[in-house]
Amino acid sequence: MDSVAHRLSAVGAGAALELRGVTRLFGALAALTDVTMTVRPGERRAVLGSNGAGKTTLFNCITGDFPPSSGTIRFFGEDVTRFPPYERIRRGLRRTYQISALFPGLTVQDNVYLACRGVSRGRFSFLRPGVNDALMHATETLVQAVHLTPVKDQRVAELAHGQQRQLEIALALAGAPRFILFDEPAAGLSPAERLELIEILTSLPAHIGYIIIEHDMDVALRVVESVTMMHNGRVFKEGLPREIESDPEAQELYLGGGHE
Amino acid sequence: MSLTQLHAPATAVERPRFRAWPELNNPAAWLVALILLIMPLIASGFFLIEIFGTTLILGIIALSLMFLAGYGGMVSLMQLTIAGFAGYMVAVFGVSGNANISLGWPWWLATPMALVLATIFGTLGGALAVRTEGIYTIMITLAIGAAFYYFTNQNWAIFNGHTGINTVATPHVLGIDWRSDIPFYYLILAVAALCYFAVQYVSRAPFGLALQGVRDNARRMAALGFNVNAHRVAAYAFASFIAGLGGVLQVWNYRQISPGSVGVERCIDILIIAVVGGITRPIGPFIGALIFVILRTFALDVLIKFGLDGNRFRLLIGLGFLAIVFWSSDGVIGLWERWRRRQARSPSSTAGSRHG
Amino acid sequence: MARFIERHPAWALIAIIAVALLLWLVFAVWPPGLEQAIGRKRVFLNAIFNGITLGGLYFLVASGFTLIFGLMRNVNLAHGSLYLFGGYVGYAISAWTGSWILSFVIAFLAVALVGVLLQILVFRRMEGQDLRQTMVTIGLAIVFADLMLWVFGGDFYQIQTPSWLVGPVQLPFITAVKSSGEPVYLQYPMVRLAIFVASVIIGIAMWLALNRTRIGMIVRAGVDDRDILAATGVQIQVVFVLVFALGAGLAGIAGVVGGTFQSISPGEDTRFLLASLVVVIVGGMGSIPGAALGAVIIGLAEQLGSVYIPTYAIVVTFLIMVLVLALRPQGLLARR
Ligand SMILES: Nc1ncnc2c1ncn2[C@@H]1O[C@H](COP(=O)(O)OP(=O)(O)O)[C@@H](O)[C@H]1O
Ligand SMILES: [Mg+2]
Repeated sequence: MDSVAHRLSAVGAGAALELRGVTRLFGALAALTDVTMTVRPGERRAVLGSNGAGKTTLFNCITGDFPPSSGTIRFFGEDVTRFPPYERIRRGLRRTYQISALFPGLTVQDNVYLACRGVSRGRFSFLRPGVNDALMHATETLVQAVHLTPVKDQRVAELAHGQQRQLEIALALAGAPRFILFDEPAAGLSPAERLELIEILTSLPAHIGYIIIEHDMDVALRVVESVTMMHNGRVFKEGLPREIESDPEAQELYLGGGHE
Repeated sequence: MSLTQLHAPATAVERPRFRAWPELNNPAAWLVALILLIMPLIASGFFLIEIFGTTLILGIIALSLMFLAGYGGMVSLMQLTIAGFAGYMVAVFGVSGNANISLGWPWWLATPMALVLATIFGTLGGALAVRTEGIYTIMITLAIGAAFYYFTNQNWAIFNGHTGINTVATPHVLGIDWRSDIPFYYLILAVAALCYFAVQYVSRAPFGLALQGVRDNARRMAALGFNVNAHRVAAYAFASFIAGLGGVLQVWNYRQISPGSVGVERCIDILIIAVVGGITRPIGPFIGALIFVILRTFALDVLIKFGLDGNRFRLLIGLGFLAIVFWSSDGVIGLWERWRRRQARSPSSTAGSRHG
Repeated sequence: MARFIERHPAWALIAIIAVALLLWLVFAVWPPGLEQAIGRKRVFLNAIFNGITLGGLYFLVASGFTLIFGLMRNVNLAHGSLYLFGGYVGYAISAWTGSWILSFVIAFLAVALVGVLLQILVFRRMEGQDLRQTMVTIGLAIVFADLMLWVFGGDFYQIQTPSWLVGPVQLPFITAVKSSGEPVYLQYPMVRLAIFVASVIIGIAMWLALNRTRIGMIVRAGVDDRDILAATGVQIQVVFVLVFALGAGLAGIAGVVGGTFQSISPGEDTRFLLASLVVVIVGGMGSIPGAALGAVIIGLAEQLGSVYIPTYAIVVTFLIMVLVLALRPQGLLARR
């Protein structure tokens, strides 16, 4: 609790993400209890923890998919606790989902186009985009960045799992993200696809910070500079990757329940 | 909501996108357009309006449902109610035989007024319906439709109770009586074409794409920056305007409107039309409407010819609807396409086996 | 209850004042000024009683509807047809045997059987596809309506009230005081009271069955969380069939009730389907107490509305629905 969190909260106002006492209840179950954490702009952090530790719920609270039962969330200094998800997204927050949440009836290109449109103006536009539409170019670029150009006219329902995971990431990169939440992006990927993922993550512009939930320590610890460990809905350790790697308690807890 | 079963092949066919109109490449579409245009040469007055005019009007109303259900995943049973509301407003603001009720505005004021009010009415109803999700939509919109029906029955001050409003005036412009058969047919055709192409166009515009995104995964749309409920309500507004256009034509067609025109049964008919035709594409509702109107007009004779009771038209409609729901995920269009695919596959597979 | 007051003090206050006012209106001898303003107390009391007994009927129809939806996510838009079918069967039986009680039994069994067949032959095949199921129920409603029209024609039928229930009873509610100082008591049809008591008993029995029996617990758990059902390892399909049979049977009973104190004819199916829709939207989907509350509210609104504002009566009912949707979209007594 005291070490990294305190040192970082000293920077306070300049934080990209600042959670204070965030608690989330599902009926009687407390999926998150009194989570306090601060993440700097541009910081890259991993959240580790066994299944059911509350990692996804943490993301859901930050994006507003499920608002916290109590506590406050600040995004670049602004209190967004009561904001609907779309307001947070328009301020530069992005996320991916652990279980791909795509639009199966639309093509890959349309999926990405929607992501670009969602964070720009003209969401209600009745005019079809022309050939020189800026967002269409942005879409092309993103599709290319996640290596999906060959399948861009296919419906998402027809894609392979790995391609869907790539698309999931593309949706989170649309527009001008300032902070991204990756929920187990490597789940179910082949080793080759994992390398591609690592490449995408490490080549993100330096000002974009992210939190990544990842069971695979090899992936996680290669792409982050700090680590938060969660257990039973609480944060129980924060530190640098090598501190966590060598911490016996973390090792036991994590390896004990993580790889189900 | 398990709409996936209903929209599965939706976008696959519309692939050449963003640029041209895909249907311009389809010779069949040109043929249909030509036939529709020269219809007055082919069909007599009765057929022209009773069959084709009515088909197009019902098709327009069902198209508004198709837009909501196919692109938005919202099955609204109040589309006919919105159309009926527009019809009533034309009668109330315009000129009719019930001088104590009608305000006597000229048609070019009464009609836009009716359209605006119908759009507001439908938008408010939609705003109510989007308070809940999925299958609740059907229940709430059905309740709205029924409430309106009972209200028109009870209320004499505006809606003239169960007698309704009669001898509604129709427009005379440029020396043409727009309710005489041929001009009225072309008027209906023009409005229907406008609505059809508008829906087709919007489906590929950001608004329509976003609506399909909402249909597929509303939560993800919110996580992409979209205000999902605002999109849904806007879709209701757009669909209400289309339904309102259909309603105006409807009241011009029959020159009267009464609670019977907005009954619950009629609301359900619109759903049947859209589902039977196919709910994933704008052409579906028009096909459904044609089948419906033909059945309704000729069922009596056909049933009697087969020695059956001519009154069993609704039984026929019900059974047909059940059959479509059981065997096709996309109405008759879906059946047609499945049949075509099988046709295309069977020769090629025999050819393939010969090669092997 | 206590939690509700704690959380919404303003609403609780409004509700308490409304109930107190209603009680006063029911029990007090009305001062002449009030009678002048809103009419005779007898009219008012009659509207209240009609509203509550109509609520009893609505509850019988809507409870089956809400149970079937709650457990199977099946919006059964053919529920009104089941009601009408029950009415016709009840009429046929009572006309044939002269026994009112027997008509209930047979109507329950016959309509429950239809429910079982529907569940086994139709809905089981499309489990989890709620839209498709709903479409099928719409198709079925049309087919049933036309079949019944074919067999029974467009006439009105009324089921004969048994002789031991005919006639009014005197209730201990004072409607007026004669100039001699002698109070006048409310006269009310016996059969309506009997039916209302019966629906209360059925409601309590259902509540007990849901809360005190094993199968009831399973059903309730299933309403709350459908995944639990799969986990308990019970024969889900059997539970589904039983619930469908019960829900349909209740609609059948309601048909006999409706045929006794109103009448049955084509079109009643739609009317009662809509009543069920509104009742469960107001009360809360899947909730039996919600159906009871919603039924009484809608029954009262309908009857009071038709007495005091006849040309806008339907608007009152509708406004109640709108208000509930706006403030509490899941319905008054639904969990979540
Ligand atoms: N929508 C929900 N409703 C009820 N319980 C939930 C919901 N989401 C998560 N939970 C519960 O919260 C706890 C934490 O879940 P989650 O955040 O998904 O864990 P993780 O992502 O770390 O595996 C689990 O016990 C889970 O069952
Ligand atoms: Mg998770």
